[in-house]
Amino acid sequence: MANETNNSDDKELVGLLAQFDDPTSLLAACNNAREAGYKKMDAFTPFPVHGIDPALGIKRSFLPFIVLSVALGAVCVGLGMQFYTNGGEIGGVSTDQSPIFPGYQFLISGKPHFSLPANIPVTFEVIVLSSAFATFFGMWIINKLPRLSNPLHRVSRFKRVTNDKFFLMLEAKDDKFDKSDSEAELNQWGAVAIEEVNQDLTDTKLPSWMAPMALIGALLLLIPPVAIFSAYGATNTKPRLHVVPDMDWQHKFKTQVLSPNVSDPDTPEYLFANRRAMRQPVEGSVRFGSMETDSEMFRGIKKDFANASMTVGIKSSMLASTGPQDEAENLEQWITGFPEGFEVNEKTLARGKERFNIYCSVCHGYAGNGDGLVNQRAVALAANGQATWTAAKSLHDAIVKDPAANPTGRIYDTITNGRNNMGPYKDQIPVADRWAIVAYVKALQETGITPPGAEAADEAAPELEPAKEE
Amino acid sequence: MHETRPAKITSPIVDLGGAHVKLMPIALIVGAVGVVLAYALSQFELQRFSYIYLVNFAFVLTMCIGSLFFVTISHLTRAGWNVTLRRIAELYAQCLPILFILFLPILIPLLLSSDGLYVWNQGGWSMTHATNELKDTVANLPLADRPPLEQMKAAYLNKGFFALRWVIYFCIWGGMATFFLRTSLKQDTTGDKKLTSWMQAFSAPAMILFAASIVFSSMDLLMSLEPLWFSTMFPVYFFAGSVLSSLALITLTSLYLQRSGRITDEVTTEHYHDMGKLMFGFVVFWGYIAFSQFMLIWYANIPEETFWYEYRMNLENGWGVLSIILLVGHLFVPFLFMMGRTMRRNKNLMFIATIYLLVMHWIDLYWLVMPQYARAGGEIGFGFMSVLADLACTVGIIGLFMGIFFLVTSNKPLVTLQDPRLGEALNHEVH
Repeated sequence: MANETNNSDDKELVGLLAQFDDPTSLLAACNNAREAGYKKMDAFTPFPVHGIDPALGIKRSFLPFIVLSVALGAVCVGLGMQFYTNGGEIGGVSTDQSPIFPGYQFLISGKPHFSLPANIPVTFEVIVLSSAFATFFGMWIINKLPRLSNPLHRVSRFKRVTNDKFFLMLEAKDDKFDKSDSEAELNQWGAVAIEEVNQDLTDTKLPSWMAPMALIGALLLLIPPVAIFSAYGATNTKPRLHVVPDMDWQHKFKTQVLSPNVSDPDTPEYLFANRRAMRQPVEGSVRFGSMETDSEMFRGIKKDFANASMTVGIKSSMLASTGPQDEAENLEQWITGFPEGFEVNEKTLARGKERFNIYCSVCHGYAGNGDGLVNQRAVALAANGQATWTAAKSLHDAIVKDPAANPTGRIYDTITNGRNNMGPYKDQIPVADRWAIVAYVKALQETGITPPGAEAADEAAPELEPAKEE
Repeated sequence: MHETRPAKITSPIVDLGGAHVKLMPIALIVGAVGVVLAYALSQFELQRFSYIYLVNFAFVLTMCIGSLFFVTISHLTRAGWNVTLRRIAELYAQCLPILFILFLPILIPLLLSSDGLYVWNQGGWSMTHATNELKDTVANLPLADRPPLEQMKAAYLNKGFFALRWVIYFCIWGGMATFFLRTSLKQDTTGDKKLTSWMQAFSAPAMILFAASIVFSSMDLLMSLEPLWFSTMFPVYFFAGSVLSSLALITLTSLYLQRSGRITDEVTTEHYHDMGKLMFGFVVFWGYIAFSQFMLIWYANIPEETFWYEYRMNLENGWGVLSIILLVGHLFVPFLFMMGRTMRRNKNLMFIATIYLLVMHWIDLYWLVMPQYARAGGEIGFGFMSVLADLACTVGIIGLFMGIFFLVTSNKPLVTLQDPRLGEALNHEVH
């Protein structure tokens, strides 16, 4: 493409390129050039050469200071962003009242809306990202990049700079530069070869077609953002695209839905005649393993008191949850021992202890003193007014211990259906395990070590901190 | 200009000379007097004395462990640049077997009585809500009658196993240190390059053993002071402090030896620059690990983990102030101070920086250990006598440590003489 009839008007001397065969002579030449008073020069080597910076008289880069100031700015941006989005408060006014973009005051596990420890990781990431960008693009700016063409690449000898040759270029812009004098000096410093580097001035103009093409390209690039902007907030009656149709329309019915028409619209047909998508159990059928006829075993209620109209099967557990918690509770109805199907022995006691430690100890504590971790935390929160909580009962309370007030059947019922603040555990704990827990609770009450003053501590809200001096 | 320095040691003086003969007994006597004085000043109260003793013992132990790490990682990575500094680290690591004697004042009372530094040594430690009378009754119950958590942890935390573990740790550390120093000294006379290959081959399995030993020893020595508390990050925290303090110690020693003319141009500004970079890196690493440990516990907010920090963050009992001092002094100040190239290349500033880092490391250990004494109901007391006792103990242990170092060093060369990579180290960044 270049004009073949280059004359001296079409090119401009950029500098002189001197070739050296080893890094030592290059370093020596650099030192000589610097001492001779050259300022605008550069060295090119296949690998980093230690000490080339002082030899060329290059000052230390100020890039680290750019990065440091960007990083410090990132601290402010990172913290400020989180302060704003989390609805932090300045002088009692929260940013969630901001008219432009309100922050969100989410309460996450009781942490303050703006809390430094939680914000440090995000701030750290912002610092790392912006420092990396500052380093990368700062390096571009300092090195005047990107540069689309460099006259050095027109010197064929220069190609070996990535392989085994070393070059020093004295730039023509330098005040001390004089073509013939400099050439003589380079020869004197041991240059193997010296070449002129010329900037070709003929083809610096853009081809005429490029400007309109660039304009068209820029206009085309505008289409996606314009399309997105125009679609923003617009309504559309067309169905959306389905990329994977058999995942969007699966051949199944969800539970508890009406069956849709599975035939023509004129002659509707449904999966079942009553339009259900799922069958109900036949009247009187009992779910496998749900033959709960023994009221002592399954409800902790004496046979004499068992409601004659008690239905078996699926409904029995539903009835059980409504029955025993009536206002007027008949204490006579509870069995006082253990049902026939359950045997208290070492094995079931061990099982009861294990289950108790899993399900009950979180509130009632391992020793049953009502000092489980959940309870401690909730009581501490309640003391600050951050929660409402009925303290877990100590199993060593006189009334809980009293077999007349709390017969085993009633304890079993408490585990099954819950009582007061305590939720039902019938879905988590099988029947036999519930009785095992009852047995273990009785054993705890009989033998467990009750720390002196534990009852008093229960009433006076135990400390949050588990190891406070007493 | 391009210059090449000789690949061999040219300067004549490379050992401590006669000075150590005079210094060693003085250091040992000062040390012994200091420790005994500290015990007397704490009114022969073993409990109070043991805690400050543990702080100082951990201080010298971590520096030696870190030095052993420095030696091992040098061989593992086949490092050439630090060959001239490696001997100092080797000598500090060789102090480890002798440090076992300093460990005895912790170990022997533990074996002889149940009431002492480590609360797990007697029953009732898990009964945090119980009254003291009840704890006292449980304290001497047989193991089978103690609370289940104590029975469970007793499998690991008991006198016999604890003592056995410490014997194993010291065997590992002593074995590694002795091997590296002996082989290196042998190379000084023979110049056999095979010895370097052996040390490199040995360093990989040794590093695995070292990692295991530092994990368990950190938990035994410091974390088990509060046996209810646990953090899997703790050994890494301990490791970060160890390496940082040992880098500071090696640099400080080298600077001192150079200043007193025992090392000449074997160690250059370039070496100090690189040591400074490593220290900077480990300052950040320490901060990163300390924050990671804190953050996870703070965020999960489970009482069985948070109480440890809750006590140390409390501004009312004073430990919160120390925590802030640690955050600023152990992270922010050295971070900014060590960041600059000019700082790291200035020997006087590096001298100050290394001493500063060692002081901060000591405060870090104080912060780990002493709140446990206060939590256990002890009165630390910041009166004249208590501070004097702490000071006497600190000076004493450091004196003993210096005595041990002089004893280990004796007439040994302070720089490796015939390492195959010595030329690389001598010409580090020289052009």
